[in-house]
Amino acid sequence: MNINIGWLYPDLMNTYGDRGNIITLSYRLNKMGIKSIVNKISINEPGELISKMDLIFMGGAQDKQQEIVNQDLKNKGSFLKKLINEGVPGLYVCGAYQFLGKYYKEADGNIINGIGAFDLYTESPGQNVPRCIGNIVIESKLFPKTKLVGFENHGGRTYLADKNLAFANVVRGYGNNGEDKTEGLYYKNSFGTYLHGPILPKNPELADYLIEKAVQRKYGKDVKLKKVDNKWENKAREFVINKL
Amino acid sequence: MNLILIILGKFIIKISQLLNLGSGSTWPGHIALNINDKFIEQTLDKNKNLKIIVIAGTNGKTTSTALLKFILEKSGKRIFTNSEGANLLNGVASSIIKNSDDFSKLKFDYAIFESDELNLPLLLNKISPDKILILNLFRDQLDRYGEVNSIALKWLDSLKILTDKTEVLINGDDPQLYFIGTKLTQKVKYFGINKKLMKLKEIPNDVDSIYCPVCLSLLKYDQLAYAHLGDFYCSNCDFKRFGQKVSDFSNTKINYPMSGLYNIYNTNAVLLLIKSLININTEDINKWLKEFTPAFGRQEEIIYKNRKVFILLSKNPAGFNQSIQTVSEMVKNKKANFLVILNNRIPDGLDVSWIWDVDFKPILDVASNVYVSGDRVYDMNLRLRYENDEKNIITFENLSDAIESIVSKTKEGERLYILPTYSAMLEVRKILLGRKLL
Repeated sequence: MNINIGWLYPDLMNTYGDRGNIITLSYRLNKMGIKSIVNKISINEPGELISKMDLIFMGGAQDKQQEIVNQDLKNKGSFLKKLINEGVPGLYVCGAYQFLGKYYKEADGNIINGIGAFDLYTESPGQNVPRCIGNIVIESKLFPKTKLVGFENHGGRTYLADKNLAFANVVRGYGNNGEDKTEGLYYKNSFGTYLHGPILPKNPELADYLIEKAVQRKYGKDVKLKKVDNKWENKAREFVINKL
Repeated sequence: MNLILIILGKFIIKISQLLNLGSGSTWPGHIALNINDKFIEQTLDKNKNLKIIVIAGTNGKTTSTALLKFILEKSGKRIFTNSEGANLLNGVASSIIKNSDDFSKLKFDYAIFESDELNLPLLLNKISPDKILILNLFRDQLDRYGEVNSIALKWLDSLKILTDKTEVLINGDDPQLYFIGTKLTQKVKYFGINKKLMKLKEIPNDVDSIYCPVCLSLLKYDQLAYAHLGDFYCSNCDFKRFGQKVSDFSNTKINYPMSGLYNIYNTNAVLLLIKSLININTEDINKWLKEFTPAFGRQEEIIYKNRKVFILLSKNPAGFNQSIQTVSEMVKNKKANFLVILNNRIPDGLDVSWIWDVDFKPILDVASNVYVSGDRVYDMNLRLRYENDEKNIITFENLSDAIESIVSKTKEGERLYILPTYSAMLEVRKILLGRKLL
């Protein structure tokens, strides 16, 4: 078996340690005896390359880098949207999550269009309103056995068209907007989320979920994944949650 | 008024020393600024002969300040600085109080003020220094300082309004800082390092500024030192490192006092600054560089139970990668024991995501035993295991236990390496020296 991981804009959307998600996916695939190739897809790569991927990851970045990515997505966005609608699993963190929505409204009212894969929009409350920064604990129906943990650091407030689209409920922290207790979005095997940390190392259930969807889409529903021992992963997560 | 604040401040310092409440490096200044928020500019304005130097940047401030102070003192100058960790406005004010005489005179030739990323604009709003040294700008504690681009913009705005009296010395190998330099009307000088020392093969993961600040196209590098520092040029417009303008001291034989490329940057920066202040020959510089001992926790060696404990503060991706590069070159194929300590207290930043932007492979390659400890010990355990899970990562929640264990695994007379975040570094020194010492 062979899984192609597409890492979108690794040289631009790379500010908050989100590379750890790529390291985690590769590590766990390797433990499961599945070959994986990480394909870096940035400004210079063609949009067609996205269509060949089995699993997508894209992280968060600074405003200026996002400006560059926004320009490039005018071209690559359609490939990505199609892939998401076909059910190719993906993880989109922070800035990437915002890009996938309908639009991002800046504090001065200026609208930046997203690629519209997710039914949500984001608003910037402006420089004078504090960013949502801190440890975050969430719970998701997809993973009923455990809480998930991460760290959020975002200015934009995201609003879902329908709260049922949320990936999780906020137990502690801000989540999408600090108001409605929703966190992220889950749509056809794709996850949008504000969780850095990075999210996957300490929440291996989510990593394995993405891997399972990718493998089963490619090799059939009957393929069972080899279990990876999560002793240290669980320990790391419990240790953080207990400290909060 | 300010005289009263100085006397009051000195009294507070005395009391806190008597009661053993610490060295009083922020409190007196905090109170003075609360009573008179113009305390800093007014007191400095009364001391016209004092030259003011500000040192800013993400990494290397303390080392550069210590080195500059050391060489200037050797050449007969009188210096005071805001002491370690006190690089906010209250620390600057406290250093003024501490070093004023009872007539509010500062009998010194130079004041050197370290300033952190957020405080530089606040400080420059108050004073116009004679020299500003800007060492570098890397991502660091994003939950506290914010993103690198927004810091760069704030720096540019605050530098722009300074008078022509101020000379700006800036890292010419850093595209974003070089760009700031080109936007200033004041006198600007650039430092860098010899291109022959730039050996990185590909653009690493801890870069922040590899897109052109002018046209947003991808930057290319003829040579790369570390992170985004190197001999850069834009793939689209004519923005590029201007080689002749960058002082890299490649034609001078310098005895660099500390290991690592980052310390060559620090040393070159300080040399350029010194040459703009006083006449000094290379012979004297080299003699004094040899005598220089690093600031605490920065390549500091402490003898503990007959083991050489080598401590390298490692607090953000660029700094950590440089520490790793440096120790792995020191150890090479001899193998050594390592202790990595990850805290996430206020001076460290609460978010530990950044450890995933650090490349740990070089130390895992040369380590016989790897220990981890700190407030977020299991995050570090995961990070190292995901790099190489064949290595046994020895995990201790309690730092004293970790230190005793690694010492017992290290033979007497041998060296072991500790890479701590800031608050962890203070803890390590307290354990090794048996007391709190700055």
